[in-house]
Amino acid sequence: MTKYIIRRLLGVIPTLLVIITISFFIVRVAPGGPFDGERALPEVVKRNIEAKYHINDPLLVQYGRYMFDVLRGDLGPSYRYKDHDVNFYIFESLPNSMVLGVIAISISVIFGILSGMLAAIHQNSWIDYLSMALAVVGISVPLFVIGPVLQYVFAMKLGWLPTSGWFSTGDGWKTVILPALTLAFADFATIARLTRSSMLETLRSDYIRTAKAKGMKSSSIIFKHAMKGTMLPIVSYLGPAFAGIITGSVVVEQVFRIPGLGKFFVQSSFNRDYTLIVGVVIVYSVILVIMNFLVDIVYSLLDPRITYT
Amino acid sequence: MKTKQYKSLLEVKDLQTYFKTDAGIVKAVDGISFDLNEGETLGIVGESGCGKSVTNLSIMRLIQSPPGKIVGGEIFFEGLDILKLPENELRKIRGNEISMIFQDPMTSLNPFLKISTQMVETIRLHQKMSHKEALAKSIQMLQLVGIPVAEEKIYYYPHQFSGGMRQRVMIAMALSCEAKILIADEPTTALDVTIQAQILDLIVELTKKMNTAVILITHDLGVVAGMCDNVCVMYAGKIVEKAKTMELYKNPAHPYTEGLIKSVPRLDRAHKGRLFSIEGQPPNVIDLPDCCPFHPRCHKVMDVCQHHYPPTKDLGDQHEVACWLYVDEKEFPND
Amino acid sequence: MNLLNKQAEPQATNEFDQVIVGNSLSKDAWRRLKKNKMAVISVFIVIIYVLLAICAPILPIYPYDEIILDHQHLKPSLVKNAGQLLMEKRMADLYTQAWREGRFELSEEKDDMIWAWIDKGEVNKVWDYMYKEGNIRMAEGTFVFNTAEQRRIDTLNTKLKTDLQISVKKVWYTPEGGKRINISKLPLEEIVAIYADMVGTTSEIETEQYGREIEQQLLKTIMRQNPDLTTEEYNLLLDKELSGLSERKRDTLIRENIVAKITSQAKDIALFDLKEAAGNESVNFPLNKEITIKGALSASVKATKMHERRYYLGTDHQGRDLLSRIIYGGQVSIAIGFIGTITSVLIGTILGALAGYLGGKIDYFIMRVVDIMYGLPYMLLVIIAMAIFGRNIINLFFALAIISWLTISRMVRGQIMSLKNQEFIEAARSMGAPTRRIIFRHLIPNSLSVIIVFSTLRIPSFIMTESFLSFLGLGVQAPYASWGSLVGDAVAGMTLYPWKLFFPALAMTIFLFAMNFLGDGLRDAFDPQSKNQL
Ligand SMILES: Nc1ncnc2c1ncn2[C@@H]1O[C@H](COP(=O)(O)OP(=O)(O)OP(=O)(O)O)[C@@H](O)[C@H]1O
Ligand SMILES: [Mg+2]
Repeated sequence: MTKYIIRRLLGVIPTLLVIITISFFIVRVAPGGPFDGERALPEVVKRNIEAKYHINDPLLVQYGRYMFDVLRGDLGPSYRYKDHDVNFYIFESLPNSMVLGVIAISISVIFGILSGMLAAIHQNSWIDYLSMALAVVGISVPLFVIGPVLQYVFAMKLGWLPTSGWFSTGDGWKTVILPALTLAFADFATIARLTRSSMLETLRSDYIRTAKAKGMKSSSIIFKHAMKGTMLPIVSYLGPAFAGIITGSVVVEQVFRIPGLGKFFVQSSFNRDYTLIVGVVIVYSVILVIMNFLVDIVYSLLDPRITYT
Repeated sequence: MKTKQYKSLLEVKDLQTYFKTDAGIVKAVDGISFDLNEGETLGIVGESGCGKSVTNLSIMRLIQSPPGKIVGGEIFFEGLDILKLPENELRKIRGNEISMIFQDPMTSLNPFLKISTQMVETIRLHQKMSHKEALAKSIQMLQLVGIPVAEEKIYYYPHQFSGGMRQRVMIAMALSCEAKILIADEPTTALDVTIQAQILDLIVELTKKMNTAVILITHDLGVVAGMCDNVCVMYAGKIVEKAKTMELYKNPAHPYTEGLIKSVPRLDRAHKGRLFSIEGQPPNVIDLPDCCPFHPRCHKVMDVCQHHYPPTKDLGDQHEVACWLYVDEKEFPND
Repeated sequence: MNLLNKQAEPQATNEFDQVIVGNSLSKDAWRRLKKNKMAVISVFIVIIYVLLAICAPILPIYPYDEIILDHQHLKPSLVKNAGQLLMEKRMADLYTQAWREGRFELSEEKDDMIWAWIDKGEVNKVWDYMYKEGNIRMAEGTFVFNTAEQRRIDTLNTKLKTDLQISVKKVWYTPEGGKRINISKLPLEEIVAIYADMVGTTSEIETEQYGREIEQQLLKTIMRQNPDLTTEEYNLLLDKELSGLSERKRDTLIRENIVAKITSQAKDIALFDLKEAAGNESVNFPLNKEITIKGALSASVKATKMHERRYYLGTDHQGRDLLSRIIYGGQVSIAIGFIGTITSVLIGTILGALAGYLGGKIDYFIMRVVDIMYGLPYMLLVIIAMAIFGRNIINLFFALAIISWLTISRMVRGQIMSLKNQEFIEAARSMGAPTRRIIFRHLIPNSLSVIIVFSTLRIPSFIMTESFLSFLGLGVQAPYASWGSLVGDAVAGMTLYPWKLFFPALAMTIFLFAMNFLGDGLRDAFDPQSKNQL
């Protein structure tokens, strides 16, 4: 098992290398950066950058230094803001995004699995139809439509929840509900459908028939025999789900004006603050890579057929 | 609730199990009747696809629905109609009174649970035993079916066993229930020949000891001859002949049975040239017209065979056959 | 008498009179698909959308980029035209003002209600209420406009009656004694000369003038695309843009500019000419007319009453017709969805097939690339790419196609790996068929069902991605629209102008629904085993 984990960890390295390399080239070589003389930057920023990147060194040396910096967790100065470097802005906004993301993924996983299982167990009942209708909505309607619609209905028409803002704006936890629901919707839908079909497939399988032939109760069959087989596809969906949550949060933060990483990201991609964009992407990628790694480990724990060697 | 007056342990009457498919309704089992007495061994033989497994799954009410459905008939176990039992009553019969060895050992064990979990659970479901006792019994059962180092291998997952070993685990699990009826659906197909006889002997031995009735499904007429008291021959969802084993071998009445027996290779008879085989394929059982389904392959085919299904005739001594050959010509339908 | 009835096709039967049905996968699938009601409806919806998108230029709708500032934010209405809506708005406004000034008294209860609406920002409700109430009072005679108000109403009335919308169809140049020529067909120098002649300068001055104007134009575009930069940065970007401008592109720009100038001149002249006619009840509009601009220049124009337009789905913040923007937006979205899917499926299929068939090092390499790319938050990379290479449809399209081949390549690879070892491939190989042939003639056709199903489900997600970026303002740029950008533009004002959000969102949602149902239907049809698998 330890060996397996180590091997998986080693597998993560190329991904990280690729990310850092892409980032380096974006910052250093992309058109519109500070190095092709195309942009006039404020003096302070310019000096910051020159000091940071040693522009006159050979490219390879710069690359090595950049990689070292990133591995150390130093994402460099911002092109736009003089007062702080990229790290500062990221650490300021990351927690907000994390709170939103964690709540959203929890909602989608919990409710997705629940409604998917209910739908599968009561196949062709109203529960089934309802939750699958909801799932189709979640899959077909983009979240930048769902978000404003929820806003319109629950905040503007009904006035139950605030339209936008974040904890500090006085509404407290209420500000989280709509963005989290919006963000959770798409993954909820996919997970619900996945759970339903996976459960039905499992319930059709021969080993469930064996369990029935033993005279077991349906409930214990579902929880003891069908659960693991049902969960496997869902666990492997979690990787893409995390990616979706990250991407989605960019929009949701925009719609609900949440001071998170995603909002920063869009802003800085408009004003070409490459170091900041790249910094955000590196942070997101690392989160994603860690999540994928954890998902892999959980999967291997669930499925005894995976060999660790 | 149990009625005490019943003739046989298990009575299947006019069972019909259909599957709804895109192409039409598959009449997998279409009007089957047979009895099974305590301690008796009944063989069911027939070509692949003739409905043997579906018959036995119907007895346990394990037909996947949809697409399958038991559309008619009655199944009495100790005088109790299984088809009308509520779910919780049914559970008391499954595994406890009737246990089953499934045909496909590769997929019939839960790949996510250790063998120990699956066996202990089987035993403790209907027998009052502590976990420890159940575990000991499981190990003992595994040893009985010839799994070496059972006390260690019981902690394996199914994928760590070979197909034959899994089949043996299935057998051990089914036998550990100590049920009144054991349904064995081709229990030895996944095993090598040397083990086959051994396992069959084991089943015989254990069931005789516990006075268990057995329904043995097989392609192998040799096995039937060695083990069964009675035999049913199935063809296209129907029983075409039913008799005591010795009687069937001596006087096969239905041309199909005759063909089956002739096609078994025998060492005690010298063969000239090729082994006998029945030409052609069994029909598909969707929208079968009213005729003897065997008629295109039958060498004694008559006109009437092509238009009407033959009635079942009793030839005496519980020997029944469904074939126009044994029907008086005066009784032929005239059209 | 059987002549009319078509002879029933002879069917193969066996000895039981059972019809022998060949089990062709595609036929089977087709039969199953036809049974699926949702899928059939979806097919029709998709066809309608595609037809609308393709026929957009010949549909009787207003141009999607025609800005009429008077018509900003008009409500959708099936029966009222723009003029009536404008008048309603004005009256509601006047009633409300009168109420504020105390000349229009309501019960205390109603006052509170209106104040509550105002506090909540629900201005629409206030206007609707005041308009209704005001009209009742007017009819009763309990309220009358004062003179100033009445004057404003009258002015508006005349304006509504007489305002003309002129569209210049063609501008003609008639050389002395020659046939008239459409000026857009003339070479650039001649156009410049004609224009210079028209405004009474020389070609040189004009050319120079246009050099400057182009700079201004470019600068505007740059500023729109990159808000929030310093002046020096803008100038640098502009220099770069200018130096990258080819001679031909420059010429086209100048030509467009001059033609636009002449056209607008023509419009002014036509407006002046038709002023009389506009006030005259007996003249019928729309009106086609030939006008002389100056000397040898003339134009064919079409004049319509501007405020007789009808906006069934309302207008946006620049007075553009939402209906036509939705249709043209759909054109962009659907095109990107289809073309993008085809491109990514092609890339994915080829790479997946190569990996699956060749195996070994190539397989390892391709799959490693796929693995690594899977680990990246690729949407964010697309956003970066858009930021660096500029925001336009082509870049967007490439960025999307390049990242979307991953899943399909994995699927095709898996499919091919399992097919590879089957007999018919073995047979082809043993007969000496070359690799390429085996892949393209045997393996890919046999994985086709997987590819079709996947592509269908891919299209909606492609459209979603595109509109996601356009929503953020990183995709399609004005004056073009896509569903995403329409929704994105509408979000800010959705309390006041909910229709701007509602209609594009609805149009998009219906299409995505249909595509998803169709994809699900196809999957179930091709692969009934894995019902409802994702
Ligand atoms: N789930 C199902 N859906 C549709 N048809 C089915 C289903 N299960 C069984 N059948 C049909 O029922 C018929 C009988 O099947 P059954 O499994 O009983 O055959 P069998 O006699 O056990 O064959 P074998 O010796 O190969 O095990 C077959 O024609 C089969 O196609
Ligand atoms: Mg069988």
